[in-house]
Amino acid sequence: MLDNLLELARGPLLKFSLLLMALGLLRAVLLQIWELGWAWSRAGDHFIPWSLTLRRNLAWLLPWRYLRVLERRLYNFTSFLFHVGVILVPVCLAGHVAIFKESFGISWPQLPQVAADWLTGLTLLAIAGLLFGRMTHRASREMSKPQDWLLPLLCAAPFISGWLAAHPAWCPVDLRAIYLVHLLSAELLLVLVPFSKLVHIVLFWVSQGSTELGWRFVPGSGERVRVTLGKEGQGV
Amino acid sequence: MQPDESAGALTPEQMQERLSYNIEKDEVYTGDMPARFLEVFAAILKHSNYRQVIDNYSRVTARCANCAPSCQIYQHTGAPEDVPCYRSHLLIDVYRRHFTLRGVLEGRLRGFEPLTNDSILEMAETYYHCTACRRCTLECPLGIDHGLVTHLARYILSELGLVPRALVISVREQLEGKTGNTSAIPFPAIADTIEFLAEEIEEEKALKVEIPVDQEDRDYIFFPAVSDYIMEADTLMGIATLINAVGDQDKWTIGSQYLDGINYGLFYSDWLLERILRKEIDEAQRLRAKAILIGECGHASRSAKAFIRTYGGGDKAPPVYNIIEYTYRKFKEGAFKLNPDVITEKVTYHDPCNLARTGWIVNEPREILRSFCKNYVEMTPNGSQNLCCGGGGGSVSVDEIRGYRTGVTGVKKAEQLAATGAKFLVAPCANCKKQLKELIQDHDLDMEVVGLHDLIYKAIVLETS
Ligand code: SF4
Repeated sequence: MLDNLLELARGPLLKFSLLLMALGLLRAVLLQIWELGWAWSRAGDHFIPWSLTLRRNLAWLLPWRYLRVLERRLYNFTSFLFHVGVILVPVCLAGHVAIFKESFGISWPQLPQVAADWLTGLTLLAIAGLLFGRMTHRASREMSKPQDWLLPLLCAAPFISGWLAAHPAWCPVDLRAIYLVHLLSAELLLVLVPFSKLVHIVLFWVSQGSTELGWRFVPGSGERVRVTLGKEGQGV
Repeated sequence: MQPDESAGALTPEQMQERLSYNIEKDEVYTGDMPARFLEVFAAILKHSNYRQVIDNYSRVTARCANCAPSCQIYQHTGAPEDVPCYRSHLLIDVYRRHFTLRGVLEGRLRGFEPLTNDSILEMAETYYHCTACRRCTLECPLGIDHGLVTHLARYILSELGLVPRALVISVREQLEGKTGNTSAIPFPAIADTIEFLAEEIEEEKALKVEIPVDQEDRDYIFFPAVSDYIMEADTLMGIATLINAVGDQDKWTIGSQYLDGINYGLFYSDWLLERILRKEIDEAQRLRAKAILIGECGHASRSAKAFIRTYGGGDKAPPVYNIIEYTYRKFKEGAFKLNPDVITEKVTYHDPCNLARTGWIVNEPREILRSFCKNYVEMTPNGSQNLCCGGGGGSVSVDEIRGYRTGVTGVKKAEQLAATGAKFLVAPCANCKKQLKELIQDHDLDMEVVGLHDLIYKAIVLETS
């Protein structure tokens, strides 16, 4: 039974969730580009300072950018560390790279196991820190939606189970069960990417451009809104 | 008529009671407000470019509150409602719930929280607490521009009649009134003022200045905030003196048909923004002016700089300059001299958000001031990270909320000002000037608010021929 489930999770489910994520992200990107293009074509001013816009975006890849706001300094830096771990570990873990190489014939640099272990610990700490930071900041706590709590928790699952899988000596239960948890939680996360705020994986890169185009107004739009609302010819 | 709350009808009086600013009670929408709100929102999404950006925001916001400490309102109150992201979510959530498939499905699954009069009035109040200074925008890792959300929300609300009366009255006079300007000054009175200013300059500086009106084919057509003619004569005198002193008196003009740089459309309505800018464009075309020169006014400058291209045909539109850019160019050319012994008091500079937030005009005024003010100090933070005066986004023109402006939004600014210990506070913006004067009064500070050109006027060295 467990073996069958494991087989399912390792094979078709993994492919399915990867595919769903890829398609979902592709859709988000294409839609966004299409929307941006449409906005651009209607705008009265076609000039967009792309390099400045991109620089504003990329600035957020630098760790010190997260230290500027004193009150949220710790939280933000934690968030930065979390992102490092959450990207590096799954993508560059030796075991994962090997699987990819086997199925798709492509490979890339891998993390040594020690580094992966440390990064896993760091990521888990960061997750705890993020949840704590959200809980203890009144404004952030009150604004939060269910996904803001659930996603970090869900992120922790593949990390914990992954670490246990890599260190069977520490594993208190059947290793296969751990593998199953690892796979299923990771797959759930992948599937959720396009449908949750995790879609910022791709939308992050255009967010500043999107704002810039938001300020590129459409000539005549105000008047057309008035007509649609039946207020044509009315004064201020 | 006793309105039935559950049916959604509120009387204008009931709405007024919930708002800190005065609305025009006979202009406000009295039908089913939530339905109308959605209609207006839909119409705006259809005809304008907001959909892509609001949609993006509705997907990515992380509610991390990194923006919170950058907002001076939140800094003062510490209330969750004053977090930029919270405020933006009031509108973003309406979008998500009513205009996206995800939202509609979610609504079905989890039960629909309908849009209520309460939430509309909450928006009407809180989006006028925000000064649209866009400081928080710098601190959002996901690039959310809360100033843009504030602008859009106010635009929707304005179509329901939920907008400060003070703003509407000014715009109505500007677009549909006899005088065609926000201060309702008839042109003959302005012509008199111009003559008076010229005489004044001649008396004080022994310089015969020309302030040309309706001259064609000039390099610049000049649009100050029209209120400067009454409130900030020193600034205008400084500008006129400088232009004459560098020998550019026959390169500029003021238009008699339209001369007001103020544009409250930037604060609450794309419809009005466009109509007002078209008046500027038309006047520039009538006089065949090559460029538009805006006076010491932040929002007038930004609205022209950012949108003249939009409504004036992109690359075909005349270029727009703020007067500080002009003065700085002349300063670099060494076209005028400033006496470093005139201003001995401590001087500091306040960055108007609309000039500095994007880094547009930050160093130019400082370089000029440092060159002749021996005792120049900075306030911190400054430049693109400056704190708003507390009267941005049109709120300064709403007199009934002065207490809020100086007691909440402006408090951090007041502390910042006090810390400099300066005597002269240079603020090259008509709106900032008004707010800062009130702030200084209400906080008992010993400072004088001046324009950049007021000080230049005091210190400029004129070759007496
Ligand atoms: S735009 Fe300015 S006032 Fe408005 S929320 Fe952001 S920081 Fe606060």
